Amino acid sequence: MRSSFMGLETAKRGMYTQQAALSVLGHNIANANTAGYTRQRVNVKQTSAFPNVGFDKPYLPGQMGTGSEAGSIQRIRESFLDIQYRSDNSQLGYYASRTDALTKMEDIMNEPSEQGLAKTMDRFWQSLQDLSVNPSNSGARTVVLERAKAVAETFNYVSGSLKAVQSDLQNQLEVETKNINSLLNQIQNVNRQIADVEPHGMLPNDLYDERDRLLDQLSGLVKIKTSYSSSGGNSLSSAEGKVTVDLVDENGSVIESGRVIDGNDIKIDPKQLKVNYNTATKLVESVSIGNNTVDVEKFTTSGKLTSLIDSYGYTKDPLTNDTNGLYPSMLKELDLIANTFANEFNKVHSAYFAGPPASTATNLNDKQGGYFFSDGTAGLPEDQVVGSGSVAALTTINASNIKVNITNVNNIAAGLSTNDGDGQNALKLAEVMRRNDLDFGGTPKTITSITSYYQGVVGSMGVQSQEAERLMSNSAILVDAVDQNRQSVSSVSIDEEMTEMVKFQHAYNAAARNITAIDEMLDKVINSMGIVGR
Amino acid sequence: MRITQSMISNNMLRNLSSSYSKLDKFNDQLATGKKINRPSDDPVIAMKGMYYRSDVTQIEQYQRNLSEAYNWIESSDEALDKVGSTIQRMRDLAVQGASGTNSKESNEALALEIKQLISHIGSIGNTQVGDKYVFNGTNTTQPPVDMTINTAADGTITLGGTYPTATSYSPFNVSVSLNVNVAVNTNPSNIFDQATLQKIVDLHNGLQSNDPKAIQTGLGELDNILQNVLAARTQIGATQNRVEMIDDRLGTQEIIANRIMSDNEDAEIEQVITELKTQESVHNAALGVGARIIQPTLLDFLR
Repeated sequence: MRSSFMGLETAKRGMYTQQAALSVLGHNIANANTAGYTRQRVNVKQTSAFPNVGFDKPYLPGQMGTGSEAGSIQRIRESFLDIQYRSDNSQLGYYASRTDALTKMEDIMNEPSEQGLAKTMDRFWQSLQDLSVNPSNSGARTVVLERAKAVAETFNYVSGSLKAVQSDLQNQLEVETKNINSLLNQIQNVNRQIADVEPHGMLPNDLYDERDRLLDQLSGLVKIKTSYSSSGGNSLSSAEGKVTVDLVDENGSVIESGRVIDGNDIKIDPKQLKVNYNTATKLVESVSIGNNTVDVEKFTTSGKLTSLIDSYGYTKDPLTNDTNGLYPSMLKELDLIANTFANEFNKVHSAYFAGPPASTATNLNDKQGGYFFSDGTAGLPEDQVVGSGSVAALTTINASNIKVNITNVNNIAAGLSTNDGDGQNALKLAEVMRRNDLDFGGTPKTITSITSYYQGVVGSMGVQSQEAERLMSNSAILVDAVDQNRQSVSSVSIDEEMTEMVKFQHAYNAAARNITAIDEMLDKVINSMGIVGR
Repeated sequence: MRITQSMISNNMLRNLSSSYSKLDKFNDQLATGKKINRPSDDPVIAMKGMYYRSDVTQIEQYQRNLSEAYNWIESSDEALDKVGSTIQRMRDLAVQGASGTNSKESNEALALEIKQLISHIGSIGNTQVGDKYVFNGTNTTQPPVDMTINTAADGTITLGGTYPTATSYSPFNVSVSLNVNVAVNTNPSNIFDQATLQKIVDLHNGLQSNDPKAIQTGLGELDNILQNVLAARTQIGATQNRVEMIDDRLGTQEIIANRIMSDNEDAEIEQVITELKTQESVHNAALGVGARIIQPTLLDFLR
């Protein structure tokens, strides 16, 4: 036999359930614009029917429903999309940072333009041509000297600016490493909080959101793989558990000592990353993960961090002190150009002679040329005793120290004879910039001209930069697409929430009306029954 | 697919920003007039651009060198023209003196003029272009002719000082194209040299001493000198022709190089403006549609 008051209880449960649904709905609307928020739903389930099956079950035609209850509150999220998003996001992080580094490099090189190194060299060439027709004119000589200074200073400036950006990249590298460590700590903290809640049979949805948000951020910096382990106790089957984070390479295999957070043992702190530099080259040599040191070659997880290491430069083998990476390569090329150019120029400048020795010189050309460019060392001979032959090459000249050695314009060896009007050597000097038989070393040897070698360097930088930009926009499109899908599943739709609200409100009102109906029914029984004839 | 308000506004923002970046690109192209502004825009155009720029600079420089070459050639020609007319004048005087009808005094007067003309030729030998002596090879800071005329008691003269010799000449080369050098100066060794001038001195002395035979010989020598001057001027003329041809070629090359450079990197303004206009209307449409889409929600229609 059922209870008279059962209907009241059922209706009350209906009201409670709808109220719970409305509260969750309110939470959704409140978080409609919260980044990383996942909409939540109340899993409404029916309460167990009456009567229970048993020996002394009351006699009823069948089981009768007893209303509803809010079973659990769950996030609506697709974890597969998270995996996709994080994988593409690492790629985006890598190429966005690479593009950034290359764009800055392009800005510094400033080619093609009217101010770049190529134009400065052209102007120097022009001044030498002018000198060849006006060798006795000290104005033409001064112009040559000033333009030579401009060439040396442009080399210095470009090299200095590249180094400044390189040291910015190092700062960024340090900042991002700290950032990664902080994210790992935060994730582990959230892990611990989740592990406290889940065993009680509850779903800490907002903590899940927090953790996913942190993992998304981390994925831009390093490529990660996540796996989950249960918190035990009375955890629900839909509970996510504690996350394990592994650093993985391009192919998804975990790198050496790449397990930074172990979900199975949340008591231990996450492993911290630290970038180690080579003492000689000052470039990245290895990355410490916790107590283990991983060679930079084996630290293959893609993301902003690896891109920064690539751009800043790294040393593979501390024994050979090799230098790799975007900025070191460009600096190396510039050094090579400056060195090859300066030494060839010095050679031609000091090769020609005629007339009496320098000490008795009366004419402008009556001495043999000396060092035109130097590595900044003071006191190198500007001229030398006639008949000395070319000066020795200075292997130390590079883009950052190249300097014009000549201070007296009359020491510019413009001629091949004692005659003041002889400008033949100025022409030979001008040819140094056009001659295509200069040796740039390498295997096989690169034999070409200064200008075309430099054009090659700028061209390959352009190609690298273009490629990085293209891959960045490709991965940005992928990330956007995946994010769209994720949003499609998880983001809050106001219209939808409004519709639901109407639905729940109606159900709530109806449940309340149900109570009124039962009330009237009971009123009939209690107050109006058994008063026949009264 | 389930679409939510936040997706629409995110999408709208993304589309607007990509539209802005296109507008920015067109703006860059219009403002600079260049198709590309950094190597990564198009590495090939950038590399070619550097090469063509250098090409154009080279041609401009060779043209500048050419004007120096013209300067030398024209000054030398002008100087030799003067030498020619001076010799011609001497010849006229010598013919007068050779007629045999002249008195000794009038021949002496002729000799006086010739003496002046000799120092005139000497000064022509020191012709300068700017501050450079044109007839002294590459030794342009030293005057080639240092003439002193010693007059004896009987009025005859002897030459002193220094004069250009065959060995003092060296070509003054001007670079007018890659690996093409033109010697723009003239070898003065058979015009301003001491032997040649001595012949005129002999003529002078012949007139001075009224020696008809010496005058006749001198007359013949003057013709030889005139021949030498003409030969030198022919040489100059030939050089000038060559330089003019190179000038013409450089002129054409300049136009071609500039055109190639422009084809390579200059933006086609009509095209960019058209594209800009198209992009503008797309942008306006995007703004308009966006504004309509993000405003209404179901809320507006629920009581």
